[in-house]
Amino acid sequence: MPATEPMLTLVGKPTSRVDGSLKVSGGARYTSDYHFPGMLYAVPVSATIARGKIASLSTAHADRMPGVRAVFHHRNFDKLYRTAPDLKAEALQSEQRPPLEDEVISYYGQYIALVVAETFEQARAAAAAVRVTYYAEPASVGPPALIEGSLKVESQRGDAPQAFSDAAIAVDETYATPIQTHSVIELHATVAVWQGDQVTLYETVQGVLNHQVVMTQRLGVEKEKLQVITRNLGSGFGGKISEWGNSCLAAVAAKRLKRPVKLVISRQQAFAAAGHRPRTEQRVRLGANKDGRLSSLQLDWTNSTSLLDDFVENCGEAAPYLYSTPNMRSRSGLAKRTVGAPTFMRGPGAVPGLFALESAIDELAIRLDMDPIALRQANEPTMDESTGLPFSSRHLTECLREGSSRFGWPNRNPKIGSMTRDGLVLGWGVAACAWGAGRLPCAVRVDLRADRSARLACGTQDIGTGTYTILGQIVAERLAIPLGKVDVVLGDSSLPAGPLSGGSLATASVIPATFRALDDATASLLASAARVGNQFWNNAKPTDLAFTAGNVHLKDEAPASGRPFAEVLQRAGLRSVSGAGQSDGTLFQKPTSSVHCFGAQFAEVTWQPEIARLRVSRIVSVIDSGRILNPKTGRNQIEGGVVMGIGMAIFEETRYDPRNGAPINSNLADYLLTSHADCPEIDVHFLEYPDLQVNELGAKGIGEIGMAGVAPAIANAVHHATGIRVRQLPIRIEDLLGAQRSAGRI
Amino acid sequence: MRKKTEETERGHKADSPVVSRRFLLGHIGAVGVVTTRASAQGSPGTPIRPTSNTSEPARNSGYVPVQLRVNRSLHNIQVDARTTLLDCLRESLLLTGTKKGCDHGQCGACTVHVNGRRINSCLTLAVMHDGDEVTTIEGIGQPDNLHPMQASFVEHDGFQCGYCTSGQLCRRWLFCANLVAQKTMMSRN
Repeated sequence: MPATEPMLTLVGKPTSRVDGSLKVSGGARYTSDYHFPGMLYAVPVSATIARGKIASLSTAHADRMPGVRAVFHHRNFDKLYRTAPDLKAEALQSEQRPPLEDEVISYYGQYIALVVAETFEQARAAAAAVRVTYYAEPASVGPPALIEGSLKVESQRGDAPQAFSDAAIAVDETYATPIQTHSVIELHATVAVWQGDQVTLYETVQGVLNHQVVMTQRLGVEKEKLQVITRNLGSGFGGKISEWGNSCLAAVAAKRLKRPVKLVISRQQAFAAAGHRPRTEQRVRLGANKDGRLSSLQLDWTNSTSLLDDFVENCGEAAPYLYSTPNMRSRSGLAKRTVGAPTFMRGPGAVPGLFALESAIDELAIRLDMDPIALRQANEPTMDESTGLPFSSRHLTECLREGSSRFGWPNRNPKIGSMTRDGLVLGWGVAACAWGAGRLPCAVRVDLRADRSARLACGTQDIGTGTYTILGQIVAERLAIPLGKVDVVLGDSSLPAGPLSGGSLATASVIPATFRALDDATASLLASAARVGNQFWNNAKPTDLAFTAGNVHLKDEAPASGRPFAEVLQRAGLRSVSGAGQSDGTLFQKPTSSVHCFGAQFAEVTWQPEIARLRVSRIVSVIDSGRILNPKTGRNQIEGGVVMGIGMAIFEETRYDPRNGAPINSNLADYLLTSHADCPEIDVHFLEYPDLQVNELGAKGIGEIGMAGVAPAIANAVHHATGIRVRQLPIRIEDLLGAQRSAGRI
Repeated sequence: MRKKTEETERGHKADSPVVSRRFLLGHIGAVGVVTTRASAQGSPGTPIRPTSNTSEPARNSGYVPVQLRVNRSLHNIQVDARTTLLDCLRESLLLTGTKKGCDHGQCGACTVHVNGRRINSCLTLAVMHDGDEVTTIEGIGQPDNLHPMQASFVEHDGFQCGYCTSGQLCRRWLFCANLVAQKTMMSRN
């Protein structure tokens, strides 16, 4: 922490959410909570084949059903447009084909019609009455096999294959992760309201600005005529960045019928047609010398994608910079499957990629008879060897050291099945983790008001991470007013353009713009103060004045001698002064350093061979992601990531019917998620090294890093307990039955 | 029996439809009609509230008059026989604090109290609750008057997106209320 930095009294302190009391009393408004006079209800009809064409679609019965106002399909729907190539991450969109474009079906669950009626019940009944026949083609939902000739090089240095064949110790294993579905608790929804040629879309999106750009392109309307609102989001995990058809369908239906339309998809539709993390197959080859120094690291992967979209799950996100090795290569491949478009899901690429890499590192440590922490420390790089740039801030070895001591790792006996507690076999595993960091462009407006309150407006959104609260903290700290006196207004595309809430980028992005907006408002305040200077400061010029701790004062006098900003505004006859701030993004600039967050995950599992019962009993998560602005909500983010990581390790998998490509377990009971009863004790610890290359407060994102590394830590712990190396997630009881036999327990 | 007494007390007409299992089965999946939501004023961005607690008469036999006492306030409404209690609360009474997460009784986001018992409001039809007393999250506490359980959720950051929080609170609030009642009874004995 720089010595010149003022003491922070609110930023960095555990702070309850400013929107908390609304959320616990049912008053926080989510998209499907909006109602408008004359509102109609829309229910989409979904395809029931994996691939082919609509042979016939009859609405004769549905049209005549009570309350039905329209049944739309590819023959009578409006022309919609595709989105332009997105070069600046301003219009992220996973599924390019708009809904109801033509009669072609490329996945089970693709929307083929839309029923709009006076009530939800009427629309749902009529949707079931739409008759469709198909020319069906076979489904293709198998694993994405690695095909050597089709791989594309993503990162490369040295000669990794040669170094691998020369290596004294080698690991060559293939790992697989299944399709996982976000299972956001709030179903994707749109409420579309037209007034003349202007449309307001109440949406479930992680980026109101991103969605505005996507929808102006989709609908072919001007940006100033399309407003997107998401005041609260019932979780996203990356699955609510793209438009999934519901928005287009509701917008067009509302326009055609000249009435507001509400569309909430069903849970089954969310599994089929609203994105997922694609399936991956990853081959990791590690070469090392006998001291454990890596001489070669290769990660080749193929991920599944939809027939119409090329979505690369970047499994090689962390491999190029995580460890020191002179020879490294990562390559990617795609496998077309009859599934809906894949999309970003918490830690896209890095999370499945780290499962493979960190499992392989554990396998290498066993082959070397070396402690897995020592092996990682032996390969700690001094710079990002993939780019030659220095790290802006990297404390991975300290994460491992701190986690080791908190977890009790020095007491670990590496012999398989050697540790027990209360009659249970214990397994202890560790994994490192990393995720990119940086900023997106951001604009912020701040008003200082004469009633000693303030307002901050930004077109970003709070997706449950606590953005409302941290922005309130920053403004309240700077103005020395209570947190409750700051109105933070987010979630509206008509506000100054803010970042999407994805990639763990929002927090880092909003800080510089907020600081500049506060500076700008301060300048305006001082100019106003100079205007009334004869009353307080004997005709001082703005340049003679300063603003400190909420008070305007003469520069050469103590802040306490000054006047509160509210009093200055009152004397000047002003209701408020405003400031605007803008900051650029880092993602498309030439980088001068390599910016990431890091962490170490420690997992304990208990294994009961007699009844083949595996539980995750303890997680220690040590995170290095700069300054934590709000440890209360920050800890919650990491805990949430860990819980999702446990789901990835031992529960989650979307399974598809090979006959018709239908997601089989498309509900919250059959798609297994970590429940409260599955949650272990989670110890979250932050190493707080502010990364001042990112922003003034040195804060980086923490939305994704908490999930990274959890699944391999658990898989490594399972191996320690059972001797079984599971390389295909999720880890199932069936995988571990061999361990029972070898332990002589059955 | 209890239900019938209550109906008489409220002065329902003798011929008001009694919801039988056969009636329900006959109407599930059948067609309903016309919205009965009371018309109300409102501009975009301002969710509307029914102007009165009494809705228009049903225009079709698919609609059934139902009296619900929700958060101590009485609602005489006409509901489509297919409407779940959840959709009735959210779309007809505009009590949107209760949330739909799965619509299959799997997630619990829609938990409300009916006659002092916790239920998944997505798994029950509104017509089955004529005369029932329903408590939703809105009836437990308001932002300026939070129930201690709600305040505790805020204090301990017991949520992130907050979407299923209403259901969690409704589930725990009654659980704890029952515990307290039990304890009081035990200490009396």
